[in-house]
Amino acid sequence: MKDEVTAADSSSRAPLLVLLLAALAWLVAAGLLGLVASIQLHSPRFLSDCPVLTYGRMAALAETAFVYGWLANAGLALALWILGRLAGEPLRAQGWAVGGAVFWNLGVAAALGGVATGDATGFALLGLPAYVHMILLFSYSAIAVTGILSWSGRMRRVPYASQWYAAAALFTFPWILSIAHVMLFSAPARGVVQAVAAGWYAQCAWTLWLAPLGLSVAYYVVPRATGRVLPSYEFASLGFWCLVFVGGLTGGRHLLGGPVPAWIASVAVVSAALLLFHVLIVFLNLRGCFSGGGIALRFTAFGIAAYAVGALADAATSFHGVAAQTQFTYFDEAARQLALYGAVSTMLFGGIYFAVPRITGRAWFSAGLVRAHLLLTIGGILLLAGALCGAALVQGRDLADSAVAFAAIAHHTRPWLAAATAAQAILLLGNMALAMNFVGTACRILNVSEPASFNPPSAMEAHAP
Amino acid sequence: MRNDAVFFLGLCAALAISWTGIVLGSHAQLGFLAPYYDDNQGTSFPQWMPGAAAQGQLVYRDLGCAACHTQQVRRPGFGYDQARGWGERQSVARDYIYQPFPQLGLARVGPDLANIADRKPTAPDEEDLLRMLYAGSEGMPPYRFLFEERRVGAGAQHSDLALKLTGAPEPRPGWEIVPSARARALVAYLASLKTTYDYPEAFPFVPPKPEGALPEKAAAPAPAAAPAPAKSGGSP
Repeated sequence: MKDEVTAADSSSRAPLLVLLLAALAWLVAAGLLGLVASIQLHSPRFLSDCPVLTYGRMAALAETAFVYGWLANAGLALALWILGRLAGEPLRAQGWAVGGAVFWNLGVAAALGGVATGDATGFALLGLPAYVHMILLFSYSAIAVTGILSWSGRMRRVPYASQWYAAAALFTFPWILSIAHVMLFSAPARGVVQAVAAGWYAQCAWTLWLAPLGLSVAYYVVPRATGRVLPSYEFASLGFWCLVFVGGLTGGRHLLGGPVPAWIASVAVVSAALLLFHVLIVFLNLRGCFSGGGIALRFTAFGIAAYAVGALADAATSFHGVAAQTQFTYFDEAARQLALYGAVSTMLFGGIYFAVPRITGRAWFSAGLVRAHLLLTIGGILLLAGALCGAALVQGRDLADSAVAFAAIAHHTRPWLAAATAAQAILLLGNMALAMNFVGTACRILNVSEPASFNPPSAMEAHAP
Repeated sequence: MRNDAVFFLGLCAALAISWTGIVLGSHAQLGFLAPYYDDNQGTSFPQWMPGAAAQGQLVYRDLGCAACHTQQVRRPGFGYDQARGWGERQSVARDYIYQPFPQLGLARVGPDLANIADRKPTAPDEEDLLRMLYAGSEGMPPYRFLFEERRVGAGAQHSDLALKLTGAPEPRPGWEIVPSARARALVAYLASLKTTYDYPEAFPFVPPKPEGALPEKAAAPAPAAAPAPAKSGGSP
């Protein structure tokens, strides 16, 4: 049976565990930073006397730790694992992946240090100071070497959907980062072209890097965990190419009405609507996850639902009439959290719950912590997105009435922002549960007296009730 | 999808299309935008930022002010920007050509700052801005770390730069609050932010009303339609 713990899994252990451990450490750190930033949003005087902790820097720190610390490490670990499994042999060139992981995380730590001491760039999703770009570029490529070797050594000549998405993510990130580096830092474009280039980078980082990392995991976990062939699988490649070709064009929707050519926003509206076709195909392919029972499937199902809702919201807010209400409000933050946390992170959580028992050959340390994590994550994300949408409604209504002063807007949005802080705290608790559980499970490897699992891994996934 | 080469070429093509189309396309359109020379005034616009303001933009960027403040006024009829007095005209690409780090921003937790130095009816002066930075407000944190608390009295002179504060943020007796060089640079930057010059492209062409639509108005003198762009009431 294919789904047993294979020798290939346990001998690929080292790079995967290093990446996952770093990912979870960053996840907890990003949660703490995000919690502080969230408190500062409704109580601006909180920790405001320290320049390192001022809100503008905290927000950039939280985002950088979350995207480049948590999502990148976890996404890479699972992409390597999936590519390796579908190659049917242990990962090759593991030293490259381990070395790359070490330098990647040193680079992210240096980036956080730089942002905290005043080298922030002010670009969304690209808060990384220019001097860490090279180390990130090379270390990412080193990690990707392992994945590309597995891709080229795959067992089946026609790759699966999860392999397309994983390979696309491995390949595109170095390219978009180097383009952004040239156009924004080493030979900066003039004036508002910088804003266009930064918007393009942020959109490509989402549609060509982070979303594919999540979808790769979902496309692997759903058929394995349900034990069924994906329905309408023949459309999957259409969905993939739709994302790849159209996704990068939707970045201009944030610049609607701004000092850039109007065609940028018009292209974004059309592409955001076209992208719904991709989401529809993903939804059709992976709809089996909604009927499943395992913990991995529950996380994946939530992720797919959040992905679909997020894409609909993006398409809706790229229209003029809607954007007039939502542009520049907390709605952008809600959509970002729904995408990065609700969609990609939960798909990665699903992948982690599926992969770790197979990588370690041990059952999860505590089934209670698994259930707690599921409940806290789903509750936290729903509360966070809901609270930020509520704040956005109040803020949008108040902004449109020019008689309402900004102090009054701050006052009116405060209860909603306080609810968002509560949600961040809930999410942080959930992530700490996952981190503890992971460390406990990984430590079981050291315990040689425990037999290396004679149970089928599905029994070790700690099914939710 | 049977062929690796096709897969990777497809990925390359997809990236190249969005990069060429969006980024290089707008670079070709706006990347070489020249300043606008005004014959009447004998000078060109926009003007270079003063040195202190250029330093202040670095402070603005490193403190992440753009997390809460935009610097882009949207066109009349789209949103509330004119009604809030943030600028009489929309921001255009030419406004930013001399800014090394344009800070367009994505969120309006606080007001837009594109034209803060020329805001109607009253624009804050540098002293007001410093006080605002020191004291904070309900929606904005105080930036005390940009100021220095100094003892005054016997042997220690008053600083010319000391803030005149009243009410709650008043310093302890015998002390004064002096803005640091960073605070002064930041405020010099904010005080340089104004979009007073009206470029031709800042007033989009408004097509004249069709002749047949309102026959009774057709007899009215034509120049009456000219000031239409100045009004903020929205034509779609």
